[in-house]
Amino acid sequence: MLSKFDYYKPKSIKEALDYLDNNDETRILAGGTDLMILLRRNAITCKHILDIKAIPEIQRFDYKNGEGLYIGAGVNVNQIVDSEIIEEKYPALHQAAASLASYQLRNRATLVGNICNASPGGDLPPVLLVYDAEVHIIGPEGEKMVNIKDFFLGVKKTILKDNEIVLGVLLPDVEEGDNSVYLKQSRLKGHDLATVGVAARRNNENKISLAIAAVAPIPLKLTELEDVINEKGLSNDLPDWVEGEIKKYISPISDVRSSKEYRIHISGVLAKRALQTLIEKEVN
Amino acid sequence: MCGEHGNNCFVHVDSGLPPVGLKCVVNGEEIQACVDPTMTLLNFLRNELKLFGTKEGCGEGECGACTIIMNGETVNSCIILAVEADGAEILTVEGLAKDGELSILQQEFIKMDALQCGFCTPGMLMSARALLDRNPNPSEEEIKEALAGNFCRCTGYIPIIDAVKSAAKREREELK
Repeated sequence: MLSKFDYYKPKSIKEALDYLDNNDETRILAGGTDLMILLRRNAITCKHILDIKAIPEIQRFDYKNGEGLYIGAGVNVNQIVDSEIIEEKYPALHQAAASLASYQLRNRATLVGNICNASPGGDLPPVLLVYDAEVHIIGPEGEKMVNIKDFFLGVKKTILKDNEIVLGVLLPDVEEGDNSVYLKQSRLKGHDLATVGVAARRNNENKISLAIAAVAPIPLKLTELEDVINEKGLSNDLPDWVEGEIKKYISPISDVRSSKEYRIHISGVLAKRALQTLIEKEVN
Repeated sequence: MCGEHGNNCFVHVDSGLPPVGLKCVVNGEEIQACVDPTMTLLNFLRNELKLFGTKEGCGEGECGACTIIMNGETVNSCIILAVEADGAEILTVEGLAKDGELSILQQEFIKMDALQCGFCTPGMLMSARALLDRNPNPSEEEIKEALAGNFCRCTGYIPIIDAVKSAAKREREELK
């Protein structure tokens, strides 16, 4: 490693914020599954590592009726996979978490790290987008909640400032009858990044939400397409229609995982299958 | 040398940064050390504790050769800082055998020819150990899922899966 960093592990939010304020070129460490690789490749350098794992607040992980699901920055992906309440209330989150990397990596990787890393192909952002999740940020000026769709700015870029920390993410509560699904296409089963990932949700009022990863510089919530879908209403023809329509709303590139043409094709296929799943569940 | 921990001072002179104290339990033995803040846990285990069982493959958490069990859960030790293991309990492949006798899991790997070059074996064993600890009777699908982060390049996956299956069976029968 070229970076020569020292290591600081604060026990409170205040200590962490003070440290960030006084030390430029600090990187926040939670699971380290992205940060350590970037440091090792010398893709980034830093002078200080701030390990937030000893801050009690970031371990918060609870579901409250009427409020929703709070996932702290210290909660790892396997904790999400193992949560029965998530599997029941937020099925797409369970599915996306279970599809993410390998068992060992899921023991370290965190949901908050997955959004802060802001990879266009992250598995969890599309799910947070369909649930209208709020990102809980703290900084010198205090706390704020930011809607997840306003959090991403570009490839590996977020609105987070150098002196701010994401404490957690809140998924609003869901009503009885809410359902969702996450479908991912990857080169191999078990351990790969998404070639394309699609999250779809149907709430208790039959409103559809759609979000998609790895087809644009940021994870996309397909708001305009959702509006058209929700105006049309649910029908058995809807999934086929969306399969053709979705290409108007995405702008994928070709890379090592897939060609642009394949990404466009598979986005339609996954969106169709996701909607078929959500619509069929109602018929049965 | 920071002078505080005698022979357990592992400060690398290359970074020139102040050392960080580290206390952990490795294979049942209490370790007190001070380390360079940029040192990975894998390098700490191999280069300083001389536990050469844990291997470095890709160095990026993809291949699983560096898999160890930390606080009961498998992790890739190549992408964890040594200082992050402060207060942790660590099990490496060297900790599987007891009193000079290989564990059932290790015996079954040998019996089933579940290794060729052996480079992936320590990581495979640790992932399999953690699986059997949380699920003593895994299905083939569950075994595959648990080992998905461990690559074998001698194409030995089938005997490895068979070894985990038969070890699970023997453990259920013999370790009641």
